Amino acid sequence: MLSGVNLSKSFGNQQIINNVDLQLEPGQISVIIGPSGSGKTTLLKMMALLEHPDSGRIDIDDTSYTFPLKRGQTPTPPWPKVTVVFQQLFLWPHLTLMQNITLPLKLRGKDRSENLEQLIHLFAMESFINRYPNQASLGQRQRAALVRALVLQPEYILLDEITSSLDVEQVAIILGHLRELANKGIGILTVTHLLHFAREAADRIIFLDKGQVIESGGKELLVSPKQERVQKFLSVIEAAS
Amino acid sequence: MSAIDILIKYQAAFAAGLLVTFHLAAIVWCAGLVLGSVLGTAGAKWRRTVGLPSRLMSFALSAIPILVVLFWLHYPLQSMLSVVIDPFITAAVCLSIVNTFAVADTVRGALDDFPKQYVIAAQVCGMNAKETVVHIQVPIVLRQVIPSLLIIQVNMLQATLFASLISVNEIFRVAQQINSQIYKPVEIYTALGILFLVVCLPLNAAAHMLKAKYTRDYSER
Repeated sequence: MLSGVNLSKSFGNQQIINNVDLQLEPGQISVIIGPSGSGKTTLLKMMALLEHPDSGRIDIDDTSYTFPLKRGQTPTPPWPKVTVVFQQLFLWPHLTLMQNITLPLKLRGKDRSENLEQLIHLFAMESFINRYPNQASLGQRQRAALVRALVLQPEYILLDEITSSLDVEQVAIILGHLRELANKGIGILTVTHLLHFAREAADRIIFLDKGQVIESGGKELLVSPKQERVQKFLSVIEAAS
Repeated sequence: MSAIDILIKYQAAFAAGLLVTFHLAAIVWCAGLVLGSVLGTAGAKWRRTVGLPSRLMSFALSAIPILVVLFWLHYPLQSMLSVVIDPFITAAVCLSIVNTFAVADTVRGALDDFPKQYVIAAQVCGMNAKETVVHIQVPIVLRQVIPSLLIIQVNMLQATLFASLISVNEIFRVAQQINSQIYKPVEIYTALGILFLVVCLPLNAAAHMLKAKYTRDYSER
């Protein structure tokens, strides 16, 4: 299980994350929703140990990371067991999409992953796989970034708004694939502003605001939230869409 | 007598001068590229202790004409220190210093501007620090700096002409000597221009070709 206990993080005087607890079971899809600036991405980065919490603990299966770290302590990185796909994707610009996907594999001594061809086919990438990132559309790049993470066969995958620029069909494909991954036992934590994505994908929904978990629960949270702040947020989003 | 005739007639003298020019340029290129890359990398890593002094030096050198530095190193400094140094060595040291700081500035700038997100993406893909440097940082930075470095090296080649003013027998001094014998300044300096065109044009073309090839528009649609 990937879990965060009492996580807090400040930048200067601004408290970004305030005593947040979060659990992600293998095979579970958890979706974080919340307004802009609520700390969703920071929380995601902390769960991947890309950002160290000021205090709290992160457990990745049997490994525990307690913060603040002791002086001189360098935690063993959990990547790619825990991996992240960022909203901005960060594909390496000097490599083609195919090279972006296969470079980490080659460095692990695997020329081809058994599921590489399958993933390329699933995300219909055959026609643009040899393009450079700047020659591909945003949707194509998002698919490549997702496949780059998936071929490494992570146990936990954290996704930051990765469906933001995909069309309905691609979102549906990704939804289906995420469900398939979850069925294989991969834990998925995703940040999204798409309520229908959350509704379709989530086993668990976490509503974050001002760095705090306001409410969490199953899909029913989207239908009948208990907290007024969540009700207000959902009604605004529903009205906008 | 045309420029071509002069080139043919004095080919031995021009060849000797060109050899000195290339010898000087080779020293300046090697020293500048190696030391500049090291200094630039160190400057990006230790910004205050190495980067800042290096930037200040680079700023100062870019403001002072190379000719002035060369004269100063050759006459007043050597007179002050009561030493006599071979003008070729003085020119090599002076131009190497200028090249080193120019290269360091370019390398440091590219490293400073390197998007850290690419490193984070490598980390989450399980790449270690060495793999990230070799496969991500170096290729991206090289593609960015190679065209600029080539243009700097062409400029340094042209700057070797200043060495003639402290009596180094490089190509420009040879041209001056020939001119003092036959007084055909237009033809002689045209011949010199042709020689430099032949040498510098391929280098400039290579710089532009590499720039076109490697510094593609990375901005994503």
